[in-house]
Amino acid sequence: MDAPSLASTDSVVSSSSSLSSNIIHHGAQTPAAPSSTSTSTGAAHPPSQFAAASSSSPPSSSSAAGGNFAASSTSTSTSSSSSSSSLDSQIERLRRCEYLRENEVKALCLRAREILVDEGNVQRVDAPVTICGDIHGQFYDLVELFKVGGECPDANYLFLGDFVDRGYYSVETFLLLLALKVRYPDRITLIRGNHESRQITQVYGFYDECLRKYGSVNVWRYCTEIFDYLSLSAIIEDKIFTVHGGLSPSINTLDQIRVIDRKQEVPHDGAMCDLMWSDPEEIDGWGLSPRGAGYLFGGDVVAMFNERNDIDLIARAHQLVMEGHRSMFNDALVTVWSAPNYCYRCGNVASILELDENLVKSFKIFDAAPNEARGAPVKNPPPDYFL
Amino acid sequence: MTPAAKRLSVVAAALGPKRTREELLPFLSDGVDDDDEVLGAIATSLRDLVPHVGGRNHLSSLLHPLELLLAVEENVVRERAAESAIAVGEQMYDEDYRAEFVGMISRLATKEWFTARISACGLIHVAFPRMSSSSSSSGGDGGMRMAHLAHFANLCRDDAPMVRRIASRNLGPLLHTVVVTIGPSCLDEGGAVSAILLDLYESLAGGDQPDSVRLHTTQNCVHLGQAITLMKERVLSSSSLSSSSSSLSGGLGDGVLGEEGENTLVRINAIVKRILPLIVATIDDRSWRVRWTAASKFASVVHAFSKLDGSMDALVPAYEKLLQDPEAEVRTAATFNFSEVAKTGAMVCPAGWAGGGGFDVGPADPSSRRIPVALRLVKRVVQLTEDDSENVRAALAMVATDLAPVLGRDATITHLLPPMLLLLRDSNSEVRLNIISSLSLLNEVIGAELLTQSLLPAILDLADDGKWRIRLAVIERIPLLAKQLGKEFFTDRLLSLCVGWLGDDISSIREAAAADLKELTALLGSEWAVQNLLPRVKQMMEHQSYLRRMNAVRALSLMATAMDAHTAQWEILPILLEMHCDPVPNVRFNVAKGLGMIGPLFQSSYEGQILPILTLMMDDPDRDVRYFATQASDSLRAFFGTSNKS
Repeated sequence: MDAPSLASTDSVVSSSSSLSSNIIHHGAQTPAAPSSTSTSTGAAHPPSQFAAASSSSPPSSSSAAGGNFAASSTSTSTSSSSSSSSLDSQIERLRRCEYLRENEVKALCLRAREILVDEGNVQRVDAPVTICGDIHGQFYDLVELFKVGGECPDANYLFLGDFVDRGYYSVETFLLLLALKVRYPDRITLIRGNHESRQITQVYGFYDECLRKYGSVNVWRYCTEIFDYLSLSAIIEDKIFTVHGGLSPSINTLDQIRVIDRKQEVPHDGAMCDLMWSDPEEIDGWGLSPRGAGYLFGGDVVAMFNERNDIDLIARAHQLVMEGHRSMFNDALVTVWSAPNYCYRCGNVASILELDENLVKSFKIFDAAPNEARGAPVKNPPPDYFL
Repeated sequence: MTPAAKRLSVVAAALGPKRTREELLPFLSDGVDDDDEVLGAIATSLRDLVPHVGGRNHLSSLLHPLELLLAVEENVVRERAAESAIAVGEQMYDEDYRAEFVGMISRLATKEWFTARISACGLIHVAFPRMSSSSSSSGGDGGMRMAHLAHFANLCRDDAPMVRRIASRNLGPLLHTVVVTIGPSCLDEGGAVSAILLDLYESLAGGDQPDSVRLHTTQNCVHLGQAITLMKERVLSSSSLSSSSSSLSGGLGDGVLGEEGENTLVRINAIVKRILPLIVATIDDRSWRVRWTAASKFASVVHAFSKLDGSMDALVPAYEKLLQDPEAEVRTAATFNFSEVAKTGAMVCPAGWAGGGGFDVGPADPSSRRIPVALRLVKRVVQLTEDDSENVRAALAMVATDLAPVLGRDATITHLLPPMLLLLRDSNSEVRLNIISSLSLLNEVIGAELLTQSLLPAILDLADDGKWRIRLAVIERIPLLAKQLGKEFFTDRLLSLCVGWLGDDISSIREAAAADLKELTALLGSEWAVQNLLPRVKQMMEHQSYLRRMNAVRALSLMATAMDAHTAQWEILPILLEMHCDPVPNVRFNVAKGLGMIGPLFQSSYEGQILPILTLMMDDPDRDVRYFATQASDSLRAFFGTSNKS
């Protein structure tokens, strides 16, 4: 596997000034120049190679898997009581931050696949629902999130990806969310983030964590296979479009997302990559992303997209915001970030976005879980300088 | 290599004792490897060879490789080698031990390379009790023992500060061993303690030493205090045994102690007088690390010296000084020790009595008024509540209420309660949380009524705290408050607060508030609940957010379980059943859960009201509603099925 050289996988939402200094690796493709394509026609008609790439996607490389999609119409609605009770006990264990045995993970992933394979690339979600951003393996902060927003299944959740990497408990975090998904498929929706990828997890911690906790990479393999089945985006009551990263110059309508063959590793470029990698920015039209994948997109792009698809709001994650959430472009787009004190050092607060049944928004801000909630001793002994 | 090194005993068992001694051990001594991990594994597994060298009289053959390992550079290897050497030594015959083990220590103590000397520092006190005391008639200054005390003294004066540091760490344990081994006679003028060890105490605590050496002074003094307290008790108990007429309280100068015993007590006082200045000096040390060590161990110091006359008059002022240290870290460490220091039963002069004076050891002036340490220290609490550092205040909030049982009711009310109120209104949330969490102890001492009256305003402030964990801590105390305040007062002052939490932004708060309603219903009665709680819960049922409505459903079910069946059936059940057609599935399946929980209360309406609704819900379009309705229906069917039969 040739990994893309990515400048950074997450960056703080900031002014565009730092953009020019970043090195950009983006294969041979030349994306639309930011200034010249800022008109409405420019945004509506992306460069031809993108259009070709997205239209040719269904019969592309993994066509066998495409068939798999169509073929599987298994009845997931009948959850027998015996399996749901064993699942309940697994969820209990995961809530205590105990990880499952390898064969349990395998079985869980098989059941998850049956459910996820039926979900669309633009999964429909009903209100009321609570939208959550990046978690990044911060298990105890996820527990804190549930304490603030309500436990699943009592509250409905939509997680915007980036469950793994960076934190200490990627395994427990992802398995808890996946187990909840299998147990309550209608109460929780998981969509894919740029870290739900084989290449990225090998660099940012999930791979090493699986190896350390299980002594083999089998669990990592089961999980990354499931990553390929995760939906790419969701639409809430036909009005709020949610995605991990942002928009793509090769996508104008939701139907163009619906035809992507998503069952594959996150590609280095193209529509599927952009959905997970792009960032909004105060510019006109499109810009190069300092991350080395995806694009920067401006308010005019968002306005156009929202109007064309008759939606009110784009909700996305992907970027650390110190205050937990940030609205842009006259409230046409919002960033939700759910990893408090990101990487255990950033000092930021986190937020979740609660939407009631009338799509009325309310943000809940929360801090990192205190030490005593992490199973750590209450008094932090000062470091032993005296050895 | 490492796995092989860990299983030396397997190799040795295969070779047999003779070849183990003559081939394996020399091979290991030959510098097989210089990888620290391998050496560490060898050091650990050498002790497993004890059964394989051909009996206890051959054990000294194991010491040779260990002696080499005790001199290597990596200290993990040396530590493991020391553990193994001690384990091997325990199995050796006394004679071999004195010749080989003690001989090894002498060699290590005088080796050129400092790492060997570091190992010697830790072994001398271990071997000391088994060293010969050849001229034992005169009371234990045997040649071998004196020689090793001399070795140790040299190590304490070693040129390398690394050696002095480890020697300093082992000085206290050595003193304790010497005192316990030799007995009271070592305290005599010219005995091991006075002649050698106290000098070492003084020199290692001296300002010319690096702080890494000085910072062991505190722990060493704890060892000393414990050792001489032991001697004092031994002298006093032997005297009380020898003269049955006198009680322990007779004490010093009663004439019942033998001349020897009296002499020992005089010597002990002299030693205490010599050692207290060293402890006091750590408080003023120029290095904050030394002061921090003193602060964090001060409760041990106080307990070690609490039975030694006059020490409290020096130690308590010293402790008070630590509480005012310029470094916040030091003050925090000292504050964590606060209640432990105060718990010592010793009496002390009131603050200000000794003024700026030093430590006047000796029988205290009997006419002076002496008070318990706790009573003197409690005056410092006010000062600490005003500390600039929130860590100090948080530490205080955590330990301060432990003082209440020591102080007793009156002193707690006068001295402790006012600063506690200040802490409840502290600007830092951790301080507030710590104090709320520890209030129950205060409650037991001063009685609920008084506590409630003085704390209520502060608690009302905290009810709106920005941190949800603080609000949660308050909510968890509401039932207790309700019990103490009585129905009228509670309804008047706290009711609206309690039902207000049902609409809190944070899910955990809403749930805790719902749980409170159950407790309150049980406490204040069904009728009261219907009058005061139900209207507000009904309001919440019409809230536009499904999360609030769901919580109202939960609160209703919980309240019903605490009500008499009749009221619950007429007041609660109809509202709950009505909620089954809420547009949001989450609310509906919580109705199903609620019905499953309270169904057993309503035998009469089970068939007519509950079952039809559950059956309806079992055909709900949402699968989770169907699941929970089926669960509830199954459990109720099982319940009424069995109860009907029986």
